[in-house]
Amino acid sequence: MSAAASPSEHQRAHGDLHVTMKLREGRTVLDDLRQQGCLKARFPRPPGWAEVVTLNTSGGVAGGDTLRTTLRVRHGASASFAAQAAERFYRALPEDPPAHIRTSLAVEPGAAAEWLPQESILFESCALDRTLHVELAADAWFLGVESLVFGRALMGERVANCRLHDRIRIDRAGQPLLHDAIRLHGPADALARPAIAAGAGALATLVLVAPDADSRLAPLRAAWKNNDAGASAWNGMLLARVTAADGAALREAVLAALACLRGPRPLPRVWMC
Amino acid sequence: MPAATITTTTMTTNTNPAALLRLLAWLSPAFPTGGYAWSHGIEWAVEAGDIANAETLRLWLENILRHGAGRTDAILLRHAHRAAADIEALTTLAALARALAASRELLAETTAQGNAFRAAAAAWNPDVLTRLVGDLPYPIAVGALAGAQGIAENDATLGVLQAFAANLISAAVRLVPLGQSAGLAVLAALEPAITAIAAETQSAGLDDIGSLTWRADIAAMRHETQYTRLFRS
Repeated sequence: MSAAASPSEHQRAHGDLHVTMKLREGRTVLDDLRQQGCLKARFPRPPGWAEVVTLNTSGGVAGGDTLRTTLRVRHGASASFAAQAAERFYRALPEDPPAHIRTSLAVEPGAAAEWLPQESILFESCALDRTLHVELAADAWFLGVESLVFGRALMGERVANCRLHDRIRIDRAGQPLLHDAIRLHGPADALARPAIAAGAGALATLVLVAPDADSRLAPLRAAWKNNDAGASAWNGMLLARVTAADGAALREAVLAALACLRGPRPLPRVWMC
Repeated sequence: MPAATITTTTMTTNTNPAALLRLLAWLSPAFPTGGYAWSHGIEWAVEAGDIANAETLRLWLENILRHGAGRTDAILLRHAHRAAADIEALTTLAALARALAASRELLAETTAQGNAFRAAAAAWNPDVLTRLVGDLPYPIAVGALAGAQGIAENDATLGVLQAFAANLISAAVRLVPLGQSAGLAVLAALEPAITAIAAETQSAGLDDIGSLTWRADIAAMRHETQYTRLFRS
């Protein structure tokens, strides 16, 4: 282990980011921005949906880091949230607390939001406790993806151990709609098991909450016919999972799925570089 | 099948005789919860070749027990048992349990059995269950009634884990197919996993819920479009 060692085992990074987007004269614009510590936001102005690009200036996440992001999309507005780059989760010492990441996203009536971070790359012995909490109005539209990559296969890296607790909680009209929690404490050789990942090194979960979510099921299944993947729809929600050998294969599968779930709108530019 | 004696130093079991009779009745395959109709994605896993014999079945089930629905349901059941006198807390737990389902058929699997359990438990005056409105996930139903009727939490947890494993083995015995004795050998081999999960979940909070069984979820999702189906999940 060289590159994977924590860059700062004693210096812990903290970041706090608040972004609110609102509708003004038919366009979604920034309403409120507060940023502190290592978390920043940028606002490119592409045609189409407003874009918010988040940035962790600490250069990766180590044990004990705390990152808090609070996002809101006000009445009738529509915004895509993406991260500048894939996030790296570095080795934590056994006595280190896990990196603590809390992201909340509120989507008000008539509003739409996309949560499109890039991959989370997990290094050997990383420790991560993360929650994405999405609160949707009854008629809000939401699309989200979380991609986990266990080590960088091209660099010959494996993850033999990690402490991972990663939750996606979605409430709609104040009621729990989805509580998707991943928990891996200890040896990652469980990933080899057929009921878990059958040796795959990367995994993504996608969620679409929309009145017509079930209409996307057939196209997504067709797009994924050669992937180790599944999708299901119920209660105005579509949930999809895919496993892949490595990060590159996973990205290809996720891009195919996003094209099915969000149509021809271009992806945030940060996804293209 | 020989009777198994569970001895452990970490669990006290103090279910009284009448309560034990109820637990045995409620978890019997003859109790009309319709468990035989659900395979938890096993039907697809057999079709896909992930489960092809007793050993691959044992490994698949051990992972579901330790890293999937077994552990999750054990935690939910324990919390429902403790909340048996608190309808508001049980309602919140039921909503959480529904939100934890990873596919349309997995949600139907747990709520159809929970709803059927509520109806079938009428002979035991299940006041706590009839006060819970809406679709009722199975571990919440069993946990709440067990808690209300003096069945020890550990006994109910062990019983539900064992019944879950036995039901999925019964599905696999038909699907693979396997002989009855091979299926029972898998059930015997899962005892350490079942007792370990029961012990580990004693102190687990709701925030400790989390699963790893992605390909079992994928199997349940793919079951929806499986051409020939004997099971509803």
